Amino acid sequence: MKRIIVNTAAALALSLSPAYADLDLEKDELKFGFIKLTDCAPLVIAKEKGFFEDEGIQAEVIAQPNWKTLLDNVINGNLDGAHMLSGQPIAATIGIGTQANVITAFTMDLNGNGITVSNSIWEEMQYNDPALDTPTPKHPISADSLKPIVKEKLDAGEKLQMGMVFPVSTHNYELRYWLAASGINPGMYTESDTGGRTDAEVELSVTPPPMMPTVLEAGNIQGYCVGEPWNQQAVVKGIGVPVTTNYDIWKNNPEKVFGVTQEWSDANPNTHVAVVKALIRAGKWLDEKDASGNFVNREEAVRILSQPNYVGADYDVIKSSMTGSFTFQKSDVRSMPEFNVFFDDYATFPWYSDGIWFLTQMRRWGQINEAKSPTWYLETVMKVYKPDIYLHAAKLLLEEGLIEKSEVPWDSDGFKPATDEFIDGVVYDAHDPIGYLNSHKIGNKDPAGLTAN
Amino acid sequence: MKFKILKALDVAGLQVFDPVVRLICGENPPEQFRKILLFIGIPIITFLIFIGIWTYLAPRHTTKAGEVPTPGVVKNAADGIWVFHVRENQKAEDFLLEGPAREKALAGVQARIAELTPLASAARTKLGELETASKSQIDQQVGPLQEKYNALRKQTRADEKAREEALIAQADSLPIGDAKARDAFLAKVSEHEVKSGTEKQALKDFKSTIDAAYADKFPEMESVRIQYNAYEEELQYLSKRLDYLTEGNQSVKISEGQSELVDLQSAFLTAEGGKATLKAAEKVLKQEESIARIAESSYSRPWTFPRQIVRSVACVFVGFFIGSAIAIPLGVLCGISRVFMAALTPLIALFKPVSPIVWLPIVFIIVGGFISDPETAFVHPAFLSSAITVALCSLWPTLVNTALGVASVEKDHINVARVLRLGFFSRLFKIVLPSALPLIFAGLRISLGVGWMVLIAAELLCSSEGIGKFVWDMFNNGSSQTFAQMFVVVFVVGVIGLLLDRIMIVLQRSVSFDGAPTAI
Amino acid sequence: MSFLEMENVSVGFGLEGFRTEVLRDASLSVEENEFIAVIGFSGSGKSTLVSMLTGLLRPDKGVIKLKGKEITRPGPHLGIVFQNYSLLPWLSVYGNIELAAKKVFPEYSKAQRKEHIERYIEMVSLTPARDKKPGELSGGMRQRVSLARTLCMQPEVLIMDEPLSALDALTRANLQDELVRIWEEDKRTVVMITNDVDEAVLLADRIVPLTMGPAATLAESFPVTLPRPRDRTSLNTNPEFKKLRNEIIHFMTAMNKEAKMLRVDRGLSMPDVKPFDFTAA
Repeated sequence: MKRIIVNTAAALALSLSPAYADLDLEKDELKFGFIKLTDCAPLVIAKEKGFFEDEGIQAEVIAQPNWKTLLDNVINGNLDGAHMLSGQPIAATIGIGTQANVITAFTMDLNGNGITVSNSIWEEMQYNDPALDTPTPKHPISADSLKPIVKEKLDAGEKLQMGMVFPVSTHNYELRYWLAASGINPGMYTESDTGGRTDAEVELSVTPPPMMPTVLEAGNIQGYCVGEPWNQQAVVKGIGVPVTTNYDIWKNNPEKVFGVTQEWSDANPNTHVAVVKALIRAGKWLDEKDASGNFVNREEAVRILSQPNYVGADYDVIKSSMTGSFTFQKSDVRSMPEFNVFFDDYATFPWYSDGIWFLTQMRRWGQINEAKSPTWYLETVMKVYKPDIYLHAAKLLLEEGLIEKSEVPWDSDGFKPATDEFIDGVVYDAHDPIGYLNSHKIGNKDPAGLTAN
Repeated sequence: MKFKILKALDVAGLQVFDPVVRLICGENPPEQFRKILLFIGIPIITFLIFIGIWTYLAPRHTTKAGEVPTPGVVKNAADGIWVFHVRENQKAEDFLLEGPAREKALAGVQARIAELTPLASAARTKLGELETASKSQIDQQVGPLQEKYNALRKQTRADEKAREEALIAQADSLPIGDAKARDAFLAKVSEHEVKSGTEKQALKDFKSTIDAAYADKFPEMESVRIQYNAYEEELQYLSKRLDYLTEGNQSVKISEGQSELVDLQSAFLTAEGGKATLKAAEKVLKQEESIARIAESSYSRPWTFPRQIVRSVACVFVGFFIGSAIAIPLGVLCGISRVFMAALTPLIALFKPVSPIVWLPIVFIIVGGFISDPETAFVHPAFLSSAITVALCSLWPTLVNTALGVASVEKDHINVARVLRLGFFSRLFKIVLPSALPLIFAGLRISLGVGWMVLIAAELLCSSEGIGKFVWDMFNNGSSQTFAQMFVVVFVVGVIGLLLDRIMIVLQRSVSFDGAPTAI
Repeated sequence: MSFLEMENVSVGFGLEGFRTEVLRDASLSVEENEFIAVIGFSGSGKSTLVSMLTGLLRPDKGVIKLKGKEITRPGPHLGIVFQNYSLLPWLSVYGNIELAAKKVFPEYSKAQRKEHIERYIEMVSLTPARDKKPGELSGGMRQRVSLARTLCMQPEVLIMDEPLSALDALTRANLQDELVRIWEEDKRTVVMITNDVDEAVLLADRIVPLTMGPAATLAESFPVTLPRPRDRTSLNTNPEFKKLRNEIIHFMTAMNKEAKMLRVDRGLSMPDVKPFDFTAA
């Protein structure tokens, strides 16, 4: 196996220019876009708690109708930056969908998604696996008990339909991962099949998050993977059961990022750093805990998020996932302090390894339709993920005494250590994307030994 | 006087109020009362009946997606939308307050916070107690049920297994080739399957009683929860106001900045050495700049519904004017020239039925191509795109009507023009256009109605601030208020549409010379 | 040579094969300041005749000359009073007349124009209705506006297409007197189309019957030698008047019978074609 050799010191060498230290803003009235999901919290909190103002930024935080429009608005300059799906900057940079150089220097949160199935599918799953038929079944729940249902449907000439929010969304990859981990083929993207349904045993389709519960109830889909509050909505309305969260699929997986265009960042380097500063503070505020480990600011955050111009869902619905617990069934409310991670575990750092994981998934499912060399993976992710900007911001915050030294991975090479904390236990080592691809049963496999072309 | 008012009402298409005016003037009261009852009373009664049916039916139709809001709930939602607007305005105002006014407002806010805090914490305690109580009540109810269910399920599965085993044993001893015995066995298997199905259904039914127990409503708890949430929301708002009246306040920020500036200036005066002096000078300038920036800044207000309504109306008029500016000249050309009409007919036929949803992305791309930097653009591209989409969808009635109006100018009027040997333009402006005006305005009226309907879809799609965006945002919120908010939108859109139509009726009547009645 | 001369004029409508000839070989000559009445049944081609005299329609054959010059297109010098008034409904009485005055006398100053217009309004006794819209006027008043509009252009010939036929008898009588008065005041060459024999005899110097269509033509004219001013009340008992009237009526009815017989003989029903106006557009 060929390993990527990274000149880490060179990649992340900090050369703080005096201009940066002073942060002469190029632009002080900024517009940020977000989608109405609870993980937009860092943006909203940075505005509402005055962190942007502290940096001299007048921010407007504007809800966007869907991920596509949000990305378009960032690219065409209607927005300065936005809350984005991790896959969006990467996909835009390599030209899946819209081609544009979108970069990120800040990861907004970890985890925060769930997979919900309809009541009847849940009953059948319980029937297939009696261990699930208790008020509080054991987690993680794999798709094993779903497999017979898929088979039965296939025999009847039908396919189970499931919803996800965007072709390059974490939800798509997580749902695929969850299904494939139990040997269910979620379908491949090919050049002619941009819907990703080739060879599918379960068909996935794009549905906007707020439509998910409605479409599930209407029976057009039998399950979906989406962010909050749309899993909790299903429970509250009694139309579905969340079976697993993405925390169980991949512990502490990256979820949303703060994306801007390369051009914007080049034109407003100091502003970009100032924005990241404010966002880091917002993340820290969101994850602040008291001595006994309870979140101290989350209730206030939920109160703010439930305003109609932000997430706007009912306070109690948002609260049920954001204050450290998650409601799987009415009988099953679990403590999940790490369901939403906004700061801890170096959550906000833009890890190259996170970006590479998304690239491997895009390759695995065929959105990248040819084999790529390991160097390509690294070069691509370095075009998108900008830890140097993050570290500039962090350094300034450290100087101002607003964060602790231990809260930032100062000397990291941009790679998290290899981990097997996936639902199927497969080891992910970002230094070896090809090896990782080949360790899965379902999905594209590439020959080792490709070199950059 | 009386006749002036009556005439004005007539022109405005408000003849229903005619009897009211006559009644006030004391003209034949019984007759006027009868007319008032007929033209005003009956519509009001119809509306009340409508509200009544709605009130009666709404709570009787619940889906899992939500409840159909009753008029009361819709009213609450409207109030909520208004409160949000008022609060945002208040924050914007607070940001700019200075001097004694600021202190007064601050004192008011602090007093209200002091008043609310104990109420909120009391409600919180109460809510906690009620939640515990309801939970234990549910547990009490569910506990034995769940046990029973578990036992039942165990029994069912054991039975099923036993039956299955018995069948296997029987099948083992089944003579090969004995059709009769095999038929009997087949019947047994089917009996077994039917039984399994019934048992499964029984289990399911039992489970639904458990679910029902979870779904038990605790009205007292719900009302305390609503109260508590209301307190907390207001406190959240007040704390934000507090911020805008103190640290976040413009005047406070400026005075802070100025005191810092004084320090910097004195530092500059006493600075020694070239480098240090330059640096001090730069700092002074930068501070001055930052103060100027704060002085210019304003509270960045979110788009509240009333502001979105105003913007939607502006947008529909911009689109309507663009559309008319295209449609009327084209219509005139089509009307006066058969060649032109023949040339345009296929294009008109092709584009007329295209839905706004199709136009919008195309328009969006084209507009985007012209506006490279939205920051410096004169109008927001999303606004312009919505307006152009409105124009594209709404110009057809005007175009067709104008063409018809121009083409069907009375022959005698044309003869007059010929006898007078009027030139092209005087013929156009003195004979053709005035003659076509009533039809043009009838077209414009339809266009404006179409535009208003199209606009909401356009705004929704391109997220241009306006009613359409409000609809989409509230839908995306998926809160318990969402459905009620949609009803509010229905009424607002309807009322504004009605007003726009009225305006057009007035215009249409003021240009119509033939006294032709206008459709209401 | 006469002032207004029409020589062997033929005109028809419709495409070849379906052609209906409306006028055939119609000739007429009018002297200056002469008042001619053309009388005919409805459908005999009276309006077509008017259209040709005013240049709104070109004949297929033959020529029409005014003062020896061929009429090729309409113009203010060929004043026409339309049967249905043709007033612009969005303009006031004053506005309607002003439109014509402005075009014909562009050299007038504002005050001159105003005076000119008001003179003609006065002439048709409409001064009180000066600012009213046509919709607010009675039929008679509208026809007077139409007349004033045409007169104000001071045309060389005044051609009136059944100007009074849409009016009730009393208004009609009234306007007839008015017409006479105006004509006396403002002498002009007049061709009036009418279907009313009394009217023709009362007003005209000469009466020209139009034979029954299709392919109508102008018959021999009846000179009216009754002295002017002619008084309508005494005229009824005037033997000369009665004689002339009877002659004309007899001529017309005979012509009508003949035409009817002709139609029966031919046993053909005419194609149902509506005249198409090529001139409009």
